[in-house]
Amino acid sequence: MTALAIYRAALRDLLSWRRLIPSVLLVILPGAIALIWRATMPAEDFDAKVVYNVITSGLVFGFALVILSVVFGTGAALQELEQKTIVYLLTRPISRRLVLAAKMLAALTLIIATVWLSMTLLWLTTLGMSGGGIGPLKQDLWILTIGALAYTSVFVAVATITNRALVIGLFFAFGWEFWVPNWPGSFQKVSLMAHLRVLAPHPQPPSDMVDIKELLAALSPTTISDTYAWTVLLATTAVALVTAFLVFSIREYVPKESAE
Amino acid sequence: MINLQNASRWYGQVLGINDISCAIEPGITALLGPNGAGKSTMLKLVTGQLRPTTGCVTVFEERPFANPRVFRRMGYTPEMENSYDDLTGYEYVDYLATLSGVPKTQRKTAVESAIERVVMTANMHRKIGGYSKGMRQRIKVAQAIVHEPELLILDEPLNGLDPVGRHEVSTLLHDYGREGRTVLVSSHILYEVEQLTQRILLLNHGRLLAQGSIRQIRDLIDAHPHRIEITSTDARSLARDLMGLPYILSARLDGPSATKVEVETRAPEMFYSTLPEIALSNGYRITAFSSPDNNLEAVFRYLVTDKPAQPKNHLVFAPAETAGEEEQP
Repeated sequence: MTALAIYRAALRDLLSWRRLIPSVLLVILPGAIALIWRATMPAEDFDAKVVYNVITSGLVFGFALVILSVVFGTGAALQELEQKTIVYLLTRPISRRLVLAAKMLAALTLIIATVWLSMTLLWLTTLGMSGGGIGPLKQDLWILTIGALAYTSVFVAVATITNRALVIGLFFAFGWEFWVPNWPGSFQKVSLMAHLRVLAPHPQPPSDMVDIKELLAALSPTTISDTYAWTVLLATTAVALVTAFLVFSIREYVPKESAE
Repeated sequence: MINLQNASRWYGQVLGINDISCAIEPGITALLGPNGAGKSTMLKLVTGQLRPTTGCVTVFEERPFANPRVFRRMGYTPEMENSYDDLTGYEYVDYLATLSGVPKTQRKTAVESAIERVVMTANMHRKIGGYSKGMRQRIKVAQAIVHEPELLILDEPLNGLDPVGRHEVSTLLHDYGREGRTVLVSSHILYEVEQLTQRILLLNHGRLLAQGSIRQIRDLIDAHPHRIEITSTDARSLARDLMGLPYILSARLDGPSATKVEVETRAPEMFYSTLPEIALSNGYRITAFSSPDNNLEAVFRYLVTDKPAQPKNHLVFAPAETAGEEEQP
C-alpha cells in the first residue's frame, strides 16, 4: 500500500508538463517522420523495412530510449531532493529501498510506455501499412524493455551518488554511447548501446556518403555475441541496482539551502 | 526519549553543531537560538536525516538515521516551505498518513481530525500551491500529527503564522505536551518560546550555551539595561521628557537634527506602558519603535560577554557628522 502510494506520487511528479510534452513528441515523432518519408518519396522507392530500421536505430534506440532514461531515471532519484520534499519521505516509517524501488518502477513505466507507443506508431506507419509482419516490432519492444531497465538502473545509481547526475547522464548518453562504440579495438564492449544493437540489429541501407562514424565502425567490426551482450546488460543492471539501493540506504539526502 | 552525547556535526569545514550533550524528556522543550545557531542541524540529527560526525544521537534508545522504527513514533514539521504544491491540503496529509502507516480504514478520520486540529478544514480541498505561508505552516503541522506520534518535532513552526494562528498552534502543542508526549520546537524568537514552554536548550554558533528554565534567561535580560529605539518627528523633546522618568538610564540622539532616540532602561515593561501617555499628552508623532535588546542576540551577547551597564541618568548626543560624543549630565 505504501509502495503503491509512492509509485503513484512518483508517476504524477514525473508526468509534469515539463516532461510530458517532450515525451508526447517522442511518441509521435518516429511515426510522423515515417509518414513524411512515405509522402515525399515515390511509392516504388519507399522501402518500409529500411525506413523502419533507420528510424528505429537512430531515433528510438539511439535517442528516445537514452534521453528518456536519463531524464526519468535521474528524476526518479533526485526530483524530490530538488523540490526539497524528500524530507517527508525520508522521515517516514518506510524502508529507503522501498522508496527507491517505487520511484524507479514509476520511471520505468513511463520510459517503457513511451518507447513502446513510439515503436508501435512507427511500425504502423511503415511495416504495418505495407503489410509487413509484427515479428520485428515484438523483438524491438522486448529489447527496448531490456535497454530501459539497464539504462534506468545506471542513471538511478548515478543519481543516488551525485546531484549532478543529469549532466553526467547526458554526457554518457550522447558522448560516451555515441562515440565510444566506434573507437577502434574493443571499446564497443564498454557501451550499453553496442550490446543492445547486437540483440536488436537494424541493418542500415548502403550509402555513397561515408561519415567519420561509419568509417570508424568499419575499422572495428562487431565482435560481440548474443550471449555476451545479454550477460553484459544483465550484469550492468544488477550492479547498478545493487549500487543504487546500497547508496540510497546510507547516504544523507538533505536539501542544500536548508542545511544550517 | 532523545539523547545527544557529545554530538558534533560538520559540513566539510563548516560547523553545524559542536559537542552537544543533552537529554530531552516528555513535555515541551524549546530549542532556542538565532539563525545559523545549529538548530536545524540538531533537528536533522534527531529526525534521522543526518548522522553525527562524532558522538551519538539516540531517539527511543535507537539511532534514528534511516530508522523506520523511530519514524513510526515520530512526527516532524520541517522548516522549509517547499511542499507538494500540486496536491490539495487533504491529499497531502492523506499521502503522508499513508506513508506513516495509518490503516486505510482509519485514514479518512485521522486526516480530517489532524486538519481540523490546525483549523484548516475550510481550505483542505484547495491546492497547497495557493496557500499563504501561514496556511502552509498549519498543514505541515497536520501531516506531522496525523499518525498521533509520541514524539513531535517542529522546526520554526510559528513562522509565518498570524497571532490567531500562533495561538492555535501553541494550544495544540500545549495539548500534546499535557498528554505526556514529547514536543521539541525550534525558534529564534524568545517571545514565541515563552508562550510555549519554560524548558529550553539555548544554542549559539553550534554550541549548547545553556539549558533549563526560560525564567533564568528572562532574568538575564532584565538584569541588563534594555535599549529601545524610537523614531519621532521631535526626537529631541521626546528624549528630554523621557529623561524625566526615574527608570530611564540614558537617552541617545542620533545627531543635532535628530529623528531617533535610543533610551536605556531597567524597567522596559513600565517604559512601554508610559510611552503612549507621554506621546499623546505632548503630541509627539512616533513613526517607528524597536528594541534591539528584546531578542536572542542580546541574550547571547549577555551570555558570552560581560557587558558593563551604563552609568545612570545620562543623555548622550551622537552627531552623525562627528566621531565624538557629547555628554550632558
